[in-house]
Amino acid sequence: MSNLRGNVAIVGIGEVPTGRFAEQGAISFALESARMAIADAGMNKDDIDYVIPTGALFSGPFSTELVTGRIVEELGLRNVRKNIQVFSGGSSSSNALQIAGALVYAGLARNVLFVHADKLGTGVTSQGGIDLFSTAGISSEWEVPYGQHYSTVAALATTRYKYETGCTDEQLSAVCVSNRKWAELNPNAFFRKPLTIDEVMASKMLSTPLRAKHSNMLFDGGGAFIVTSADRARDLPNKPVYILGESGVVSHFVYSQEPDLTRFGWAQAGREAFEEARLTPQDIDVAEIYDSYPIYQLLTFEEIGLCERGAAGEIFLSGDTCPGGRIPTTTDGGMLSKGHIGAGGSVSLLIEATRQLMGKAGERQVPDARFAVETATGGTYFDAQVTILGTEIP
Amino acid sequence: MDKREQSTAPAKPIPVVNTWAQPFWDAAREECLIIQKCSECGKHVFYPRIACPHCSADSLEWVEASGKGTVYSYTVVESNAPSSFLQDMPYVVAVIRLEEGVQMLSNVIGCNPHDVECDMPVEVAFEELDDEFTLPKFKPAAA
Repeated sequence: MSNLRGNVAIVGIGEVPTGRFAEQGAISFALESARMAIADAGMNKDDIDYVIPTGALFSGPFSTELVTGRIVEELGLRNVRKNIQVFSGGSSSSNALQIAGALVYAGLARNVLFVHADKLGTGVTSQGGIDLFSTAGISSEWEVPYGQHYSTVAALATTRYKYETGCTDEQLSAVCVSNRKWAELNPNAFFRKPLTIDEVMASKMLSTPLRAKHSNMLFDGGGAFIVTSADRARDLPNKPVYILGESGVVSHFVYSQEPDLTRFGWAQAGREAFEEARLTPQDIDVAEIYDSYPIYQLLTFEEIGLCERGAAGEIFLSGDTCPGGRIPTTTDGGMLSKGHIGAGGSVSLLIEATRQLMGKAGERQVPDARFAVETATGGTYFDAQVTILGTEIP
Repeated sequence: MDKREQSTAPAKPIPVVNTWAQPFWDAAREECLIIQKCSECGKHVFYPRIACPHCSADSLEWVEASGKGTVYSYTVVESNAPSSFLQDMPYVVAVIRLEEGVQMLSNVIGCNPHDVECDMPVEVAFEELDDEFTLPKFKPAAA
């Protein structure tokens, strides 16, 4: 049980559309997102006293620029005491939120600005992207020599999950369709045309049973959020989005060392996060589940308790996770339809959870959303991070 | 794939070896699969560590593995492989559970890729990568 519960809040969010913007530098995504977040929070730039950029994958030098103060200087933030990177790949959102919250709660920071930007859509070639993700986070001694890459990583979990639960290809494909229905309503999403299960199942086979439309695609993008104390949050224009509970499990580095590729550490992380929040999965109004491939969205949905083991496929097929459904899930379209922007995949989900709770999600607003769960994982799913957010403190 | 692409295919990645794992690769070159065993807690260990990941004892010894195991999970790569593996498609990437209770990533060879199944018994088969490295791979176990 941590001291953060109800004591810190997200008070501002900013996000640029996901897409291909060859003519723009990645820095523009960072700066635009940060400016939006500061304005959204009703703050002045000089209210920010702590900046946490996360890592960018497309370019080491760009990532280093953010580490060494570029955002602070470009935006002219005059009261910043610290600029430090928090980076754990795809779980950077949850981890940075926890660190930001802890700094605020400890009195070491007042208003923390978190920023992400990456350029994986136009900053690397298509084959370059595959090659990058055949080494990033994959063991150079024990897995790279066998042709492991992110499609095989996801396919290995999918094969075993299908074998153990009887999940069908149609159910896997229904995850893509559910996320697409949300993306159709999201102006920041890249893929916004309707998608059918048949189209997913007719797409090119990558690594069995994973097809092209079961796979995320890489894009440019960025996002930012601001964390402050619950006391200060109550004087700001947005409805404060409190951190209610959060937990995580780090379960492997080398993917093949994971003892259960159909479960990972989600059950423990979910149980602890919900306990801290004093909520149950049934209390959740919006579920922002990390989805780089459908398998992770299915098994995470089950393991954190939103349904029984093996039941998620049928739920996605039924439309319950779609707009107007019983358990609105991954409502920004996720990496499968909004687009994968590196560490920003889960930053998008955290921003979307906040947006829904603030009541600012436009056409895809879930009515009266009070409690949201966000999940995030990095590398080859080396960790399982669960965050519970809410506009009330139960 | 046309010939020009084939001729420019980058070299296969070779294992980036940690010094304490060198005996594993030396043995593999001699077509022998060795793993570590802790003489304190008795558990087998793979991949090679500097100390026992179960009990932290500094007492890991090399033992020869039976080379027998099962396919925990697998996938057949049919497209979008990393550059240096494009010419190998279709190839099987699998997580193998060895009899000794450890898991390793490998390729299943010596059969139609689409005949591989979960929990299928397999045995080690060695494939030379270059003069320095031979990779332990797995083939369907002899009946």
